Amino acid sequence: MSGGAPGGDEHAPAAPPPRVRVTAPRNGGRAASDRRPAARGRRPGTDTGPTDIHSVYVRSLIRSQLRLALICAGGFVLATVVFVLAVVAPALDGAFVAGVPVSWLLLGFGVYPLAITVAALYVRAASRNEARYRSLAEEE
Amino acid sequence: MSPAVGYAAIVAVALVSVLIGFYGLRISRTTSDFYVASRTVRPWWNASAIGGEYLSAASFLGIAGLILLTGAGGMWFPIGYTAGYLMLLLFVAAPLRRSGAYTIPDFTEARLESVAVRRVTSVLVVVIGWLYIVPQLQGAALTVRITTGLPSWVGSVAVAALVAVVVASGGMRSITFVQAFQFWLKLAAIAVPVVALLLVTGAVEPELAPPQAFPASDGPGALDVYRTVSLMVALLLGTLGLPHVLVRFYTNPDGPAARRTTVIVLVLLSVFYAFPTLFGLLGRAFAPDLATPGDADALVLVLPDRLLPGVWGDLLTALVIGGAFAAFLSTSSGLVVSVAGVISQDLLGGSVRGFRIAAFASTAVPLVVAFATEPAGLAGSVGLVFAFTASTLCPVLLLGIWWRGLTARGAIAGMATGATLSGAAILGGALITAAAPAIRPLIEQPAAWTVPIAVLVTVLVSRADRRRMPRGTDAFLARLHLPERDRS
Repeated sequence: MSGGAPGGDEHAPAAPPPRVRVTAPRNGGRAASDRRPAARGRRPGTDTGPTDIHSVYVRSLIRSQLRLALICAGGFVLATVVFVLAVVAPALDGAFVAGVPVSWLLLGFGVYPLAITVAALYVRAASRNEARYRSLAEEE
Repeated sequence: MSPAVGYAAIVAVALVSVLIGFYGLRISRTTSDFYVASRTVRPWWNASAIGGEYLSAASFLGIAGLILLTGAGGMWFPIGYTAGYLMLLLFVAAPLRRSGAYTIPDFTEARLESVAVRRVTSVLVVVIGWLYIVPQLQGAALTVRITTGLPSWVGSVAVAALVAVVVASGGMRSITFVQAFQFWLKLAAIAVPVVALLLVTGAVEPELAPPQAFPASDGPGALDVYRTVSLMVALLLGTLGLPHVLVRFYTNPDGPAARRTTVIVLVLLSVFYAFPTLFGLLGRAFAPDLATPGDADALVLVLPDRLLPGVWGDLLTALVIGGAFAAFLSTSSGLVVSVAGVISQDLLGGSVRGFRIAAFASTAVPLVVAFATEPAGLAGSVGLVFAFTASTLCPVLLLGIWWRGLTARGAIAGMATGATLSGAAILGGALITAAAPAIRPLIEQPAAWTVPIAVLVTVLVSRADRRRMPRGTDAFLARLHLPERDRS
């Protein structure tokens, strides 16, 4: 889950990397296009940008965000499958609460908390990935 | 139930929507305002508006009807409608906001540097929007027929006309207010009757005893694995490509706000869907006679009067009718905004006047289709739209955001494949299943095979076309994924 970033985390404070060229690290999208408004109209993405250590950081951020998203999606699917297998256990079909079988109630109301939990965990982890990228870019 | 209740509720919701729409007109002036509300909408407002836009006839009427008709299998629909936002949060929300594009065609054009891709995406957005508006108009027809006794077409025409006027006059700024209002109206309109009915059910004898009302053959254990999985693929991934939902993300100030908005949407939807589910459960015990394909969708409208005759029942009925109309109006107007936005930008030069003309055009077409086709179950029809979206726009969005190797040709090939396969399954379904009954589940729930094939075609063609990878790919991906400059 921690991607390529921790490697940089350990090295950077002790021995600063030898690369010198620094290109405003946090100039994500808007700044880049603001600087060159004339370049091929208003289309974003035509600015090739710096190709050194900065782009390595960017790729590692994208990879760690993708890995995080896939883990969360897989976790949700897995949790739902396990939950449903538990719900359909025959023992629950005979048990009634307020005239409704427990298995129906669990399926009808139980999956939503799983989704919300995964969502909350994801938002925290995604912001952490971005914060790590930012601190790496600033140390440059 | 007396028709006066139906008239009063419908007129009240229509009036309030139009008033808010015109109020919003005063503060929507420039073109940019008109399209995305200047990106000044706060997460809670935005999330309410997304909820208001998203909760359609399928959610308000269709889910309860489906649970009544088919049992616990119907519960997978709201689960999928909600969990779709989890997928949207994980894969799309923040990057799409950071892309800085207004619409999905804007996004694909900027990402792939190709006008051809833009055209294909635009056509798909328009088709999806129209397909999605049709069940809303059919829901309106059903509601008007059941509650006032007027002919069905009155409901469809009334909703279409209102939506065209409100959208053409107010643009998106006012729509954000209208939509947020509609969400809370819909929640109240379904929660209050459910709570009231739960309170009185102690005194009323159920039509069916619990074991007959909830037989194991309709229970969670009786699930058809292929159909359920395929439905989940359609709903989870289809949400990513819904044009009227995505356009809302541009009104978040930045990526983290887009994420916060999405989490709030998940919570709001989870709360909302508890109530149609309860309605469906109540219906199985108290109104089993409605469990026929034509009538089941009317369960939410009919049940309050059955359990609680008299003034209180009338008031609750008025409330659910109002909520149902809010659902038709809000979803249709959200769809018309995005369809009209695409039509006016690509065909009419992007002017405000062009937007208005497009708004009228994009309500007229689904109206004709709604008249020409036989209404099926609301939740099922909307489910098929999700399958179509998941097979066409979703692969391009996902790969465009996360994979460097996507090319314009790959995207077009994938979208064409997905549209052809899922379109054939949806339109030609009856013919195909008649000729080959064995593949019936595959045709009725196509997403499980159409989405993987569309993704595969996109990837393979992009691979073969590797030399034409857009020059700005890396810069564009960096823009999608880097935190904003002004956040620290």
